[in-house]
Amino acid sequence: MHIHKEKHAFEPKIVAFVCTWCTYAGADLAGTSRMHYPANVRVVKFPCTGRIDPVFILRAFQKGADGILVSGCHPGDCHYMAGNFHARRRFAVFRQLLDFIGVDLQRLQFSWVSAAEGGKWVEVVTELTERVRAQGPMPEFKELEAEEHWSGAIDTPELNAAYNDI
Amino acid sequence: MTNTAHTIDTALYDAVTDALRAEAKKVLESGTAAAVIGWQAGRRRGSAVPAIVTDPADAEKLIFSPSCVNNLALYLTKAKKEVREKGKLAVVAKGCDMKALAGLMGENQLKRDDVYIIGVACAGVYGPAIRGNAPLDDGTLARKCRECAAELPEGADVSLGTVPRRPAFTPHEAAELARLEAMTPAERWAFWKEHFSRCIRCYACRQVCPFCYCEQCLCDRNRPQAVETTPRPAGNMAWHMVRAMHLAGRCAGCAECERACPMDIPLNLLNRKMAKELKELYGHEAGFQAKEKGPLAEYREDDNQSFIK
Ligand code: SF4
Ligand code: SF4
Ligand code: SF4
Repeated sequence: MHIHKEKHAFEPKIVAFVCTWCTYAGADLAGTSRMHYPANVRVVKFPCTGRIDPVFILRAFQKGADGILVSGCHPGDCHYMAGNFHARRRFAVFRQLLDFIGVDLQRLQFSWVSAAEGGKWVEVVTELTERVRAQGPMPEFKELEAEEHWSGAIDTPELNAAYNDI
Repeated sequence: MTNTAHTIDTALYDAVTDALRAEAKKVLESGTAAAVIGWQAGRRRGSAVPAIVTDPADAEKLIFSPSCVNNLALYLTKAKKEVREKGKLAVVAKGCDMKALAGLMGENQLKRDDVYIIGVACAGVYGPAIRGNAPLDDGTLARKCRECAAELPEGADVSLGTVPRRPAFTPHEAAELARLEAMTPAERWAFWKEHFSRCIRCYACRQVCPFCYCEQCLCDRNRPQAVETTPRPAGNMAWHMVRAMHLAGRCAGCAECERACPMDIPLNLLNRKMAKELKELYGHEAGFQAKEKGPLAEYREDDNQSFIK
């Protein structure tokens, strides 16, 4: 079975941080059921969404991700009882911080995908990939990563005046 | 902004200083506490530095003035073991410092019974670079004090002084927060990028914060390294976001981080934003009462999840 593959000018890099108990199993189910979803997504497995630290998201953006998905068990289904409840609050707050810093929240998606929801996994991943593709590459963090300037650069008017006076 | 000069009556500080000396003497003589953590005059005229007094005769050294900017709650955390070893401690607290003490109690860093809190009425402290005996007015008042509603700490063992009527100052931080929120994301990114790029990663903001008491900071770890330690823009951005996240729901708003920053990075703006969001999302506010759990250490089954698919 071959599906027609479209050629795109831009293939976004999507990193998916998933919990091993629900979403990872859900993605596995999508695979064993021979469902197709964009190959743009790189899956990173964690014991629980509660273990997914916001710095992982920053790190992924810095290292070149254009979009990020964080996904775990539905509320009430957490293998560790409350990991996803804690994650839900943490990410609700983290989103606000990212927004305040000026990061486009369109590039970040959170979802609950259970081990039985292979179809939902396909849907979530496809939607995020298409959305990020439409937005184009994410330049902000990559530019920052490439910048080498010494942060103590002396460029205040006072110091410049003093320098010119010498 | 109308430029009618707003000047705060500073008679309060001398009255509090006298009461403070008497109280400290009493506390040390009666053995209520083995040491009093307060402020004493610094070497430069009009300046003040934190002081730990153990001898009742030294109680005379203690002062309270608009130069007493330090949040002394810092000396009661695990990070300052040498202070805690002195025995039961008495600490002098302004309103904003009291919120930090309450926060530390909520986090089990401090037991209420282990500390004797001397609350002082406060009319405001100096902003950066103000020293000597300048009048306390629009030009010299610290930003945080312009919007302070916590001039008299609640829940202290003893309260010294009464707050004078303060003129209404035009808020600065609230206006700045509104200005940033009204910007486009790209403008906000440019704003923070410029500020964070100047950070030299001296970690003064971390050392001065009563809530940064971790024995090992995530940002110092290198196996694996979560945050680049070099003061390059990328690592700086990560450091500031981690700092904001780790203090979200814990920060007492004392603005010590911003005061300590040698690069003038508006850290309290980030703190205030996080505080605002936590209030809107979970109804949490830093207060004088110790809470058993902070907003990010607890959850409700029906928390909003409209952003989750
Ligand atoms: S914020 Fe309030 S309590 Fe704290 S120093 Fe300023 S006026 Fe005093
Ligand atoms: S983050 Fe800054 S304002 Fe908040 S408690 Fe720490 S030092 Fe005070
Ligand atoms: S005190 Fe200022 S320069 Fe130093 S690490 Fe903190 S933000 Fe950066």
